[in-house]
Amino acid sequence: MQMMSERTSTRGSMTTTQTDAADRAAELLAKIAENRSRAAFSELFRQFAPKLQSYATRQFGNEQTAMDLVQETMTNVWHKAHLFKPDRGSPSTWIFTIARNIRFDLLRKNKKRKDDISADELWPILSEQNDSLDDGYALDHDVLMQEISFYYAQLPDAQRVVIEKIYIEGKSQQEVSDALGVPLGTIKSRTRLALKKLKELIVDDN
Amino acid sequence: MIIKSHPGEGLLYQYAAGDLSAAMTLVVGTHIDMCKACRQTVCEIEQKLCEENLDTLVSVASTTMSKSQCDQMLEAIFASSACNKQTRQPNEILSLEGRRFTLPRTLAHNSHRIGEWSKLVGKLWRAPLTLDNGNQTNLIYMAPGAKVPEHTHKGQEATLVIDGVFNDEKNEYRDGDFILLDPSRTHTPETQDEDCLTLATLDAPLHFTSGISRLLNPFSQLFFR
Repeated sequence: MQMMSERTSTRGSMTTTQTDAADRAAELLAKIAENRSRAAFSELFRQFAPKLQSYATRQFGNEQTAMDLVQETMTNVWHKAHLFKPDRGSPSTWIFTIARNIRFDLLRKNKKRKDDISADELWPILSEQNDSLDDGYALDHDVLMQEISFYYAQLPDAQRVVIEKIYIEGKSQQEVSDALGVPLGTIKSRTRLALKKLKELIVDDN
Repeated sequence: MIIKSHPGEGLLYQYAAGDLSAAMTLVVGTHIDMCKACRQTVCEIEQKLCEENLDTLVSVASTTMSKSQCDQMLEAIFASSACNKQTRQPNEILSLEGRRFTLPRTLAHNSHRIGEWSKLVGKLWRAPLTLDNGNQTNLIYMAPGAKVPEHTHKGQEATLVIDGVFNDEKNEYRDGDFILLDPSRTHTPETQDEDCLTLATLDAPLHFTSGISRLLNPFSQLFFR
């Protein structure tokens, strides 16, 4: 597990622009899930389609297959936006795992028989019953609150406020969202980024 | 319970990138269902792969999508109907020899692929999993006091303990333990007082090495296929 910690710490923290982009994408996904907003989806599409196209072109070396990957991935995003969990990972990682699954199936398409296994059966990320696993981001229980308070003081203000309200005042994410007048998706992604940052600080220190 | 034996980081990378065979993806994925540490590692690997492959926009020689291509695709997406693939209800319970086992998530999602159980030599049962052409993936049930004759592998074998305990010459393996054996290693898995359900995939037939069990070699194709 040592290697894992090193990898986490060398990656460093996201820049503000990346965080903003991730927050924006999370908001868009929430709008798509709640209102089927075509405007929100179009904006998300403009953000991700060129990236997906570039990834797919490098994977397949074939323009048509690359376009198929873009279309199938974004079609899943359109219909399955409600399955994105902002507290589990960033929007782009979620979209990447969908693209990874589409790639897995496209690579096997030519040798495909009717009942061959598909990526959705191997990585059930788009399954509606997806909640049975523990939250991988939960921190170990044996890290004492006092130790944590030293670390959370080092968080950026926006993240620290959210962490204080949730973990010290015991508010729900919805309550924090209402109190600060910030969208719920943003609260969730700030929580996730703050927990990740805390973990990096703690790992670095040990 | 602490899982002692895990897939290596290289294997987890290949898993997260979607580069493993379907059979190996199933075995590694089922381990990940059972192992919080590897689940966390895979989350981080996926994030890293995303940063390298998606967040960093590498301009490719070919032209990027034109405005009209974008509009066309958006239209097609809005016109598409929500997933019409019928989702099968995952079945978590497996009953065998009067025992009931709870299957981890990935395996439960693929329970419809589990074929008929058949009894092998000794106290062993096997049910094949139909994934795609050319793999040999099986659930193997070892009753208490079962022994697989000493053998080597012509290819790699990955074994995952779903429930119970078995041992070979070197170690004892319990729930969630993932064991990857290369062709050079001889081993003799056996159970003692407890039984054991494992998921195993093999990319070539077994080769039995000791005494009378060598007689099984002509049939090894049938043995764990």
